[in-house]
Amino acid sequence: MSEYIPRLAEIVDIDIESSNTYLISLKLLDDVDFGYKPGQFVMVSVFGLGECPISITSSPTRKTLQLCIRRAGKITNGIMDCRVGDVLGIRGPYGNGFPLQSMKKNIMIAGGGSGFATLRSLVNYIVDRRSAFGEVAVAYGARTRQDLYFMQEYKSWQQAGIEVGITVDIGDESWKGNVGLVTALIDKFRMSVGSAAICGPPVMINAVAKKLMDKGFDHSDIYVSMERHMKCGVGKCEHCMIGPYHACQDGPVFSYDKVKSVL
Amino acid sequence: MAFLPQECLVPLLTLLSNRMEVVAPILVEGVPVFASWSGQPLALKDNPLLPPQEFFLPQREVLFRYIQDCGRYSFEEAAGKARLIFGIRPCDLRALAVLDRIFGSDPMDQSYFDKRRSTVLVALNCNEPGEDCFCDRLGFGPECSEAVDLQLTEIDKGYLVETGSPAGILILKEHPEFFLETSQSHLLEKCEILGQAREAMNSCIARSLPGIKEAIKKADWNALGRLCLNCGSCTFVCPVCHCFTIQDLGVPDGERMRCRDTCLLSGFSRMAGGTNPRISRGDRMQNWYLDKFEYIPQRTGLLGCVGCGRCNRVCLAEMDRWSLEVKR
Repeated sequence: MSEYIPRLAEIVDIDIESSNTYLISLKLLDDVDFGYKPGQFVMVSVFGLGECPISITSSPTRKTLQLCIRRAGKITNGIMDCRVGDVLGIRGPYGNGFPLQSMKKNIMIAGGGSGFATLRSLVNYIVDRRSAFGEVAVAYGARTRQDLYFMQEYKSWQQAGIEVGITVDIGDESWKGNVGLVTALIDKFRMSVGSAAICGPPVMINAVAKKLMDKGFDHSDIYVSMERHMKCGVGKCEHCMIGPYHACQDGPVFSYDKVKSVL
Repeated sequence: MAFLPQECLVPLLTLLSNRMEVVAPILVEGVPVFASWSGQPLALKDNPLLPPQEFFLPQREVLFRYIQDCGRYSFEEAAGKARLIFGIRPCDLRALAVLDRIFGSDPMDQSYFDKRRSTVLVALNCNEPGEDCFCDRLGFGPECSEAVDLQLTEIDKGYLVETGSPAGILILKEHPEFFLETSQSHLLEKCEILGQAREAMNSCIARSLPGIKEAIKKADWNALGRLCLNCGSCTFVCPVCHCFTIQDLGVPDGERMRCRDTCLLSGFSRMAGGTNPRISRGDRMQNWYLDKFEYIPQRTGLLGCVGCGRCNRVCLAEMDRWSLEVKR
């Protein structure tokens, strides 16, 4: 069977994360195992509209496959117009995911904006396998309080012994927390040197990577999840080329030294 | 090995066309193109501008049909069609070898290989290279360097036919009435003719692999980007270019289409939300060259350029695609 034929998945739950972002839970209609790693992505089909790449937001340690969908174009609009019980197509999982085997035990996770969706998979994975990791810190920044995702989970992360820092670019009266850049949060953490996982806008990635290298992180220990618009997901169509790499197969997670020239 | 007399070629193709679709270069509105053949005069002098890659990676093709029933979907795939392509040149054959490695890398592209496996290739070696040809400077051609079902070399009064696969041998065995035995002189004739073709190509020193690599290293991409008209013509005639996009056509039932695309167009790498990592024309041109001369070789072990010279022939900006010099 062609690699391009998707599997069918039914929407079993829809949560609203922000005004333009939903968290969609899916159940695959065939009962074949869907094994994946934090940092991988799937190609999601809305039949009639097309296909787009979406990073997996849930952790493989938990039962439900979840995708965080932000209204950004034709297909994400189509997904967000679906109701519970509607069927989507899923291909994948694709990409390399975070190299959990070669990452150090201490992990700094830094996300900006919707880039945090893919990192939530890693955070929950660490929560569920806590003893396998050392010091873990999460730094997450969004534009405003209304744009923050997964607010109901921060407490469970802290309870698992993860240092959690949240910041917004623009504060308001209802926001009592940090206002400013993600890099300022990292300054507050007491974490020792280890590996890092970053996803967000290029400016933010560069600033965070520089900050971490100043703190003694090696650039090959800093892993960046890169955003590209994959069309095939299997290294053929060339849409997601980053220099010699295909983000869909060699990535989307790259060590910072490999991709800093294109950021 | 066998000798096919000139006058037997058309009767042989006619017989084969009863069994499968025969594609061959014919004149359409005065221009040679690879098209379905049904007895039209063959146009074998020049390699057509559009490579026969179209029969493996068409401009538009249906990857599968989706059929909706009560909110659930089922899928139908099209089956490959038996086909014979006559007159494919060594450069385009080499390009297929590159595409085989790209589309054959894990996971394999079923749609491409369905067509590849159901197609018999009959290649024609190049006795007279075109004025933009330089395959020999890249280390292969003007005779086939890849395995091919049959390869033909035009010699006096006919063709020297060499077999390269069971499918090719079968054609000789099933139609013995068309073929004669070969002699040593036929082989010598072939060597002499192709040797002359090599010499003809050797005259243009500028188009050597080291020369092109040096030009890529030194190129002023910003200036070249200003010259480039962003038309994508070079990518549509290149037998190795294979960029594509995937689109749906039809609701609630419809077809998921694969459509050819080109990395030289500005929207190619644009992401949802508008961010575009290759926004400048110069960046896109540089990526095109690096892909052919660095990235594809790294991935497949073969160059991403086959020296067919088509990109130079169609460039609307009239750039010299190999010296990459900006004339002021």
